Amino acid sequence: MIQFDFEYYKPASIYEAVQLFQTLDSQGKQPIYYSGGTEIISLARINLLYTKAVIDIKDIPECNILRIQDNQLVLGACLPLTIIEDANHFPLLTKTLREIADHTNRNKITIGGNICGQIYYREAVLPFLLSDSQVVIAGIQGLKYVPIQQVFHQQLQLQKGEFLVQIITNENDLQLPFVSIKKRQQWDTGYPLVTVVAITKSSDNSSNSSTKQIHVAFSGMSPFPYRSEQIEEDLNQQNASVQHRVNLAITHLPEPILNDVEGSSEYRKFVLKNTLQHALTTLEAE
Amino acid sequence: MDILGKSIIRKEALDKATGKAKYTADDLSVSMLHAKMNISPYAHARITHIDTSEAWKLSGVRAILAGEQFPLTGEEIRDRPPIAYDRVRYCGEVVAVIVADSPAIAKSASNLIKVTYEPLPVVNSPSEAYKINAPLVHENINSYHREKGVYPEANTNIANRTKIRKGNMELGWRKSEIVVEANFSFSPSDHAAMETRCAIAEIREDETVIITSSSQSPFMIKKLMHTYFDIDIGKVIVNTPLVGGAYGGKASVQLELIAYLASKAVNGRKVKVLNSREEDLITSPVHIGLDATIKLGCTKDGVLQAAEILYLFDGGAYSDKAVDISRAGAVDCTGPYRINNIWCDALCMYTNHPYAAPFRGFGHSEVTFAFERTMDILGNKMKMDPLLLRSTNAILSGDTTPTQVLVNKSNVGNVSECISRLKKIINWDEGKIEKVSDTKVRAKGICCTWKNSTIDPHAGSGVTLTFNPDGSMNLISGVVEIGTATKSVLAQMLADKMKMDIHKIYVQMEVNTLSTPEHWKTVSSRGTFMAGRALLSAADDVIYQLKKLAACILRCSNEDLEVGFGRVFLRDNPELYLNIKDICYGYKYPNGNAVGGQIIGKGHYIQRHITYFDQDTGRGNPGPEWTVAAQGVVVELDRSDYTYKIIRAITVVDIGKILNEKAALGQVMGGMSMGLSFAGRETFIFDQQGKIINPQLRTYRPLRFGEHPQYDVEFVQTPVIDGPYGARSVGEHGLIGMPAALANSLSLAAGVELNQLPLIPELIWKTKEGVTHDTI
Repeated sequence: MIQFDFEYYKPASIYEAVQLFQTLDSQGKQPIYYSGGTEIISLARINLLYTKAVIDIKDIPECNILRIQDNQLVLGACLPLTIIEDANHFPLLTKTLREIADHTNRNKITIGGNICGQIYYREAVLPFLLSDSQVVIAGIQGLKYVPIQQVFHQQLQLQKGEFLVQIITNENDLQLPFVSIKKRQQWDTGYPLVTVVAITKSSDNSSNSSTKQIHVAFSGMSPFPYRSEQIEEDLNQQNASVQHRVNLAITHLPEPILNDVEGSSEYRKFVLKNTLQHALTTLEAE
Repeated sequence: MDILGKSIIRKEALDKATGKAKYTADDLSVSMLHAKMNISPYAHARITHIDTSEAWKLSGVRAILAGEQFPLTGEEIRDRPPIAYDRVRYCGEVVAVIVADSPAIAKSASNLIKVTYEPLPVVNSPSEAYKINAPLVHENINSYHREKGVYPEANTNIANRTKIRKGNMELGWRKSEIVVEANFSFSPSDHAAMETRCAIAEIREDETVIITSSSQSPFMIKKLMHTYFDIDIGKVIVNTPLVGGAYGGKASVQLELIAYLASKAVNGRKVKVLNSREEDLITSPVHIGLDATIKLGCTKDGVLQAAEILYLFDGGAYSDKAVDISRAGAVDCTGPYRINNIWCDALCMYTNHPYAAPFRGFGHSEVTFAFERTMDILGNKMKMDPLLLRSTNAILSGDTTPTQVLVNKSNVGNVSECISRLKKIINWDEGKIEKVSDTKVRAKGICCTWKNSTIDPHAGSGVTLTFNPDGSMNLISGVVEIGTATKSVLAQMLADKMKMDIHKIYVQMEVNTLSTPEHWKTVSSRGTFMAGRALLSAADDVIYQLKKLAACILRCSNEDLEVGFGRVFLRDNPELYLNIKDICYGYKYPNGNAVGGQIIGKGHYIQRHITYFDQDTGRGNPGPEWTVAAQGVVVELDRSDYTYKIIRAITVVDIGKILNEKAALGQVMGGMSMGLSFAGRETFIFDQQGKIINPQLRTYRPLRFGEHPQYDVEFVQTPVIDGPYGARSVGEHGLIGMPAALANSLSLAAGVELNQLPLIPELIWKTKEGVTHDTI
C-alpha cells in the first residue's frame, strides 16, 4: 500500500509531458515521470520515494517505438523488457534483459525505467555502453541526441524535468560476438553479485582491422553500473595470459565495492575474477 | 467403492484455482476500521518517549495504542507485552498501534509517531546469549507466569532447559572407538506464506468478542483470550476461513490480540490488522535459528554408542512456542537410531531476534541438520559408507527412543526399508561422487529422519456429521484448511465408511468456534490422525443410528443390517432396504406417523498415554507414532567457483497407508521444496546491532518456480495400528532431511565440512578458502 495520495497525469506528447513537469514542479508537487511503475511502487510503499504527482509517459508515441530504420535500432523508453526480448533485434540486449527480475515483472519494467531507476543495478544500460548508441532526451528545449557514453556516468545525467525518450543503436553493433553473464548469491533469482557484459569489436583506428578489442561493462560490483577504460586496457594487453590480465583488471576496480546482503566485497571480487576469465576465454575462442 | 488412496481433487480446488476462495483479509466491510503498526528499528532499546501528537492531527485517526501496559502474553511463559512497553527486544517489534478510518490514514499516522529510543546492548545469537555475563533480555524471568513443565533459569537468558539423560555416558564413551565432535549454526529465517497474517476483531455490546483470523489455532485463540484478558471463554468466537499457507507460522497467536485491543480502544468497532509483507517477515514470529554442538561415538564396526548434544535454540525476544520447539528438538534429538547412551541439553535461549513460531517440522529439520551432518563426519572419519552406517544403527522394535519409549512394530515406521529403497532410487552403488567435467562434480548426500508430535498430552479432535434431505452428508471438523487437503481426505474416509459417492459429501471449510467441534490446533501433521479418528467414530455413530431406526422399521436386529450405497439393507437380502434419505430426518409411515428424527453423528478422539517429560531425564511419551524417512540429494558443484545445481531430491517415507496419493505427494514435495529453500538460500541477515537488513522478498528470496530439482518420492506403508486406516502423519516430513542431505552432498562435493546454513556458494568459498571476511 502506498499511503500518500498523488495526482496522476498521462500526457500524449513529449511537449505536454515536459510542460506538465514544469507546472507541477512549480506547484511544489515533486513530480516524477512514470513508465512501468514497478520501482515507484516498490519504493513508495516503504517510504523511500515520495511524490505528489506522477506523469505517465506511456502514451507518448515516440516512447513506444521499436524499429530498425536507417541502419539504426530505435527503442522507445517505455517498451517493456519482454517486448524487446521477443523482438530480439539485439541479442546481447535480449540476453541481458532476460536476467532482470522475472517474466511477470519484465512485462511491466520498461527499458527506460530500468536505465533511469534508483535501484542501482540498471543492467539494461550495459549493452548500450558497449555499442555505438545514443540517447534521445526530452527537455523543455526540445529533444537532444547525445552519445550514451557522454551522459551516462553511474546513472543517466538528466537535468530536472528531462526524460529519456529513446535509445538508438548503430545496426553494425547489434550482432557482435558477446557474453552476458549474471552471477547471483544463489541460483537464478535475485540481484547480481556481478553482471559482466562484454563484446569483441575491431578497433576503430586500425585500418587493416586485424586487432580485436574487448569492451566490457559491469553491474553489481559497485552501487552503479560502469565501463572503465583502465579495465579494458588491462584486459586487452597483448601477449599476456588471461589470468594475468584479469588479475590486473581486478586491481583497478572503481570504489566502493559493494559489501551487502548479496555478498561481501571480497567474494564479489572472487566471483568477478572467475566470470571475467570465463568471458575472456569465451570471446577469444571465437 | 475403492476411494481410499485415490487422488481425489480437493473440495476447495475450484475456488482456489479461480480466485474465488475467500481469505481473512478479503473481508472489507464498510464500517470496518483499520489498524497499522509502528515497529521498532532497534533490536534492543529502552523506549524513553513516544510522541503521538502529530499523528493525532490527521483526520480519521480513531485511537493510538502506545506506551500502555497490557497483560503479558505467551503460550509457555507469559513474557511478552502485546504492544511493547518501556522496552523493545527485537527489530520489528510492535511499539504502537494506530486505528483509523482507512489503512492509508493509519499508516500515515504511524509515520508521524516519534519514538525516542535509548539503545541497549544486543544479544545477537543463542551462543552469545549463553555466555556468562551476557546482557539479559529479560531480567526477572521468574516473575513471569509459566505453564507446567517449563524450566527457565533465573539471571540467565535460558527460557527453558530440556534434559535427555538415557543410559550411561561413561560406558558409552568407553565403548566408543571413534569419536567426532562438531559445531553447527544457522540464523532465524521465515515461513513466507503467500497470505500475510491478518486478524479482525469486534466486541459486541454483551462483550462477546468475535475474531476472524488467518490462524491454525482458532480454538487456542479462544482459550488464550480467556487466559490473557479474563474474558468468559464462551464469549470468544473465532472464525477461520481458508488459510493461504501457514507452515506453523500461523499457529502462534499475535495479531488477534492486537486486533482485540484495537477494537476495545474504539468501543468495540470492527478493526482489521493486516501484515504488510515486511511485518509478516519480521514482526510476526519467525522460523527458529540454532547453534549446536554434537559429540558422537561408535565402535570400529560403526555401532553408535554415545551422543552428547547441546542445542541452543534461538527463541528470540519472547519464548512463546520456542520453549516447545526446543523441547521437541530434545525429544527426537538424534536420528532414528539405536543409541543407548544419550546426553542432551536443549535450551530455548532468549536473544534480541524476532521470536520464533513453529515451522514445518517443529524443531526437527533443525536438529536433523546438525545430527545427520555429524553422522557423515563420523562415517568419513572411520571410512564407513554413510548409508551402511545408518542402516547398521536403524532403530528397531525393542529399542528405545531418547525419551525411553519402547519401540514396537506400530509406533515407529520401517527405517531399514526406507534406507534400502533410497539406496536403489539414488543409484547408490554407482558411486557417491563422480567427475562430470574439468571443474564439475556430481555428489550424493543422504540422511534419515523421524518425527513424532509433541503436542499437548490431552489434545484431541471432534467431528459432527449431519444429513441433507437427499441423503447427502455434511462434514464438520475443527481442522483448518491450510492447504493440506486434510478435509478432503476426511471426506474420502467418510465416503469409504458410508460406501457413498464422495461428491455427495459436503465439507465445511471454515471454522467457527461456536458451532464447529474443536480440533486442538491444525499443527504437527496430526490433522488426518486425530480428526480422522474422530471422523471414523462419528461415522460409526451415524451408522449405528441409521441401523437402529431401520431395524425397528424393517423388523430385524441392528446386527442384520448394513449401511452403504445410500441405503440401509439386510445383509443376507439387500433387496430389503430403506433409503437413507427416507430415514435420515425420521421415517414417515404411510399414514403420516413419524419415528426417529434427524440423525446427527458425533465423534471424538483424544490422545492416549501421552505424558509430560521428566525434568531430570526427559523420560516420557511424546505422541502416538513416529513417521520415518530416508532422504537424498544429488548436486552438481562447480569446484572452480562453488556454484551448484540441485539435480535431484529424493524422499522415501513410511506413511503407514496412502489415503490420497497426489495429496500425499504434494505434501512431501512441497516440504522438500521448502527444505531446500531454507537450506540453500533463506535466512535473515542481522547486522551487528541485531537489525534485520533483508526484511523484504527482494532480498529474502524463497525458492522460485524453475529453480527446482527433479523430485522423486516413494512411500513405504507400515501401518500404525492406532491411526485411521493405519495412516501416519506426512505433512512435514518431506522437509526435515533436506538441509542435512544437501549439506552432506555439498560437503562431499567440495571436500570440506559445511556446517552452517544457508548453503550459498559464498559459504562454500569461505569455508574452502578459509576466508574470514564476514558478509557484513
